Amino acid sequence: MKQEVIEQLEGYGDIVREIEIARKYGRDFTGEKGSVKSFIDRLHPKQIAMRVSEIIDETVSTRTFRLVGTRGPLPPFQAGQYVSVSVEVDRIKTSRAYSIASAPCETGYFDLTVRRMEKGLVSNFLLDRIEVGDSLVCSGPKGTFHHNPIIHDDTLVLLAGGSGITPLMSMIRDTVARGLNRTLYLLYGNRSVDDIIFHEELLQIADRHPNFHYLPVVEHPAADYQGKTGYITADLIRETVGEISGKSFFICGPQAMYNFCLPELKKLNVPGRKIRKEMFGTPINIWEYPGWPAGVKPDNPCRISVNGSHGLESVSAQSILVTLEKNGLVIPSTCRSGKCSMCRVKILSGSVFQPQGTPVRKSDRQFGYVHACVSYPLEDLEILI
Amino acid sequence: MADYDVIVIGAGNGGLMAAARLAKKGVRVLVLERHNIPGGCATSFCRGRFEFEVALHQLSGLGTEAYQGPLWRMLSSVDVIDKLDFVTMNDLYRLQLSGSDLDITLRPDRNQLVSDLQQAFPHEKEAIQKYIDFSYAYFMEAVSAYYMQDPDAGPEKYPLYFKYALKSAQAVLDEYFTDPRLKFAISPYWSYIGLPPRLMSFHDLTSVIVGYCEFKPTHIKGGSQALSNAVADTILQHGGTIRYSDGVRKILVREGAVQGVITEKGEEITSRVVISNASKISTFVDMMDPEHVPAEVSREMRQTTIAQGAFTLYMGLDCPPETVDIRETTNFVFGIDDYDRSYQQMKNLEITRDDMLLMSCYNLIDPGFSPEGTSQVAVVTLKYGDTWLQVPPAQYVAKKYECADAILTRLAEFYPHLRDHIEEIEIATPITSMRYLGTQKGSIYAFDHLIKDSDLFIRNQTHIKGLHGVGGWFGMIGFQPTLTSGVVAAKTVIKELN
Repeated sequence: MKQEVIEQLEGYGDIVREIEIARKYGRDFTGEKGSVKSFIDRLHPKQIAMRVSEIIDETVSTRTFRLVGTRGPLPPFQAGQYVSVSVEVDRIKTSRAYSIASAPCETGYFDLTVRRMEKGLVSNFLLDRIEVGDSLVCSGPKGTFHHNPIIHDDTLVLLAGGSGITPLMSMIRDTVARGLNRTLYLLYGNRSVDDIIFHEELLQIADRHPNFHYLPVVEHPAADYQGKTGYITADLIRETVGEISGKSFFICGPQAMYNFCLPELKKLNVPGRKIRKEMFGTPINIWEYPGWPAGVKPDNPCRISVNGSHGLESVSAQSILVTLEKNGLVIPSTCRSGKCSMCRVKILSGSVFQPQGTPVRKSDRQFGYVHACVSYPLEDLEILI
Repeated sequence: MADYDVIVIGAGNGGLMAAARLAKKGVRVLVLERHNIPGGCATSFCRGRFEFEVALHQLSGLGTEAYQGPLWRMLSSVDVIDKLDFVTMNDLYRLQLSGSDLDITLRPDRNQLVSDLQQAFPHEKEAIQKYIDFSYAYFMEAVSAYYMQDPDAGPEKYPLYFKYALKSAQAVLDEYFTDPRLKFAISPYWSYIGLPPRLMSFHDLTSVIVGYCEFKPTHIKGGSQALSNAVADTILQHGGTIRYSDGVRKILVREGAVQGVITEKGEEITSRVVISNASKISTFVDMMDPEHVPAEVSREMRQTTIAQGAFTLYMGLDCPPETVDIRETTNFVFGIDDYDRSYQQMKNLEITRDDMLLMSCYNLIDPGFSPEGTSQVAVVTLKYGDTWLQVPPAQYVAKKYECADAILTRLAEFYPHLRDHIEEIEIATPITSMRYLGTQKGSIYAFDHLIKDSDLFIRNQTHIKGLHGVGGWFGMIGFQPTLTSGVVAAKTVIKELN
């Protein structure tokens, strides 16, 4: 409306006087310059510059990298969360998510415990080439695999497989370090006794803290092994923890472990809302996943055209994200297991395989968006990044 | 160096609508969005088997195919109506007050609203009829004089508008009603604006109520993310470019005219027109050198104050809503019947009985909103960000849980089984909004919308040639107004480019 019309509104003069006073005593917000970023960096930094202060040998195949911040204090995290470590390996810029194994109350460092993986590009790089004093960049802590007092019980049953112990180790350390009023049962499966990460520390904690119960389970024991052997079965869980109700279950390990243990928990009638599982890393052997089209071979060649220009060589068993990275195209990615949606890209043509249960927004599905880290080309694709 | 006809900063409602309208006119437009997904507030996130709606409660102004509201026409103009499924809500809200027998559910229909209020407050029967009639009469005048900008507007032609446009909601409620409980029951929508009836304009309150009665509150299947994705899709289809995960660090200005931007990744892109969907403070304080900020803008900003952020619980239940006795999609739950005190409480960190709570559950009208046999419930209260900014980082998470627990304890009075069915819960604070929206103090309502700060007194003008502002920081808040702001900006820009 025109100014002379507005001036005819009843009460106009009073408002004008109010504005004069407000302007006299108000501020122009110049003090807010940079305020949002500097505040958010304290809690949720996009990147943290780290230095390796110590490397601890855990098992023959596993080492812990103790990382300290080089620019001020580290952000807080909840036991069970992960960071995404950015690396450049053989000129490929990529990243991997690693759970923080140290307790949140250890505010000076993050411990990342890394196991050697067959063909593990980043794990082998870290284990073979990173030395004390080296710099690394990681994301702020992320993830929802942590105890939430609103919905989780104070008695936790932790089911770990192999290097899946790392987020649970943080929870165990947190509980004993802070003397939390929680009871923890850890059933920890490994191939052999030598593979058990943190074995001595877990035995010691169990010895000193009556609220922590530790049960290693070994698949291929030596002839004289006295402990539990085989798999983490429903019977073993019930035998170890007793009453099932009033307990929350946290499970972290390789895909084979979920395939085995989740049905076992179902046998015990554990309600779905009492089970929290961490998707631990990118799928291995995606062509063995349920729903993979029978006719498509893992090495089926596909071309991926990006933003109308690049025609990138790929194969069906290689995720879009990995193909992009191998060709020097870096898009944001954090969890690399399909959950965080940071690597969301649009498929313009062609079809992809996505593992069942990948949490993609409904409307993203409608408009052709996928999470590149768990999307595999079944034919030639055109995508938009 | 890349060059575009128009650069849009931020893919929120305003930015997306502006870009879509421009792209459809053949304008070469670039949208720069710092996040990896379009929408700003109009977005969703997944946890477990749930996809949570972040911000949209009751979309206003849409209407239906047969009875089209202003928003319907706007969304048609960017070709998104056919891409979306809408569900008309059958309630305005249910309002419950602790320790009292006040439990009223109102429907978005003029006559029904009158009769439901009359039934609950029979001693004010006549006043209720008069008030609703008056609200409609006022609103019709406001449509012509204010929204449609009648060039002959004046006190003689529009006496109600000229008398009441600057009145507070409380002043008008006091003029019509004596029962404080009735005034209480009729005005919980103050929380959609952020100011109690004493401080908000009658115009804003009545626009919400009459608007909903006329065009009904609407839910979008797939949530507000579906809307954002649909508009983004139109931009792409018409040759527009959207760049995600790259925001704007600087707006380049020379001699009072926009020259382009520098992105967060450091790229300089030239353009004679920039539309900012960022906060007004970010636009003029963070992205611009002080010497380019027009004196008039600085003066105007001095009269404003930063509004509330939200403290929200996003919950996925492992049961249908009926199991926990949730009967309506929109529920206001109050512990006291004093809106001024509830407003003051928004300046405190802790959750007490003074906090207003708004609980929404769209499964009641859209059963597919979450997996079969489950429901999604959001509970929100408004909080000024200042107190959250004072929480030390190491205590932040514990404080979140503490406040969430206090809200669930409050709700247990009316919904005792709710807590036992929570499968997933995510807690958002003003800090969360600050992180994802980049707004100062995590404000979701931009500046406080006092009467003095309406667009009658702060015109949406940047005083920089080629720079335009859209979204709640440059005008009114809410989905319909921010979407509209994009349409208005696109019209202005097209005139400018021609």
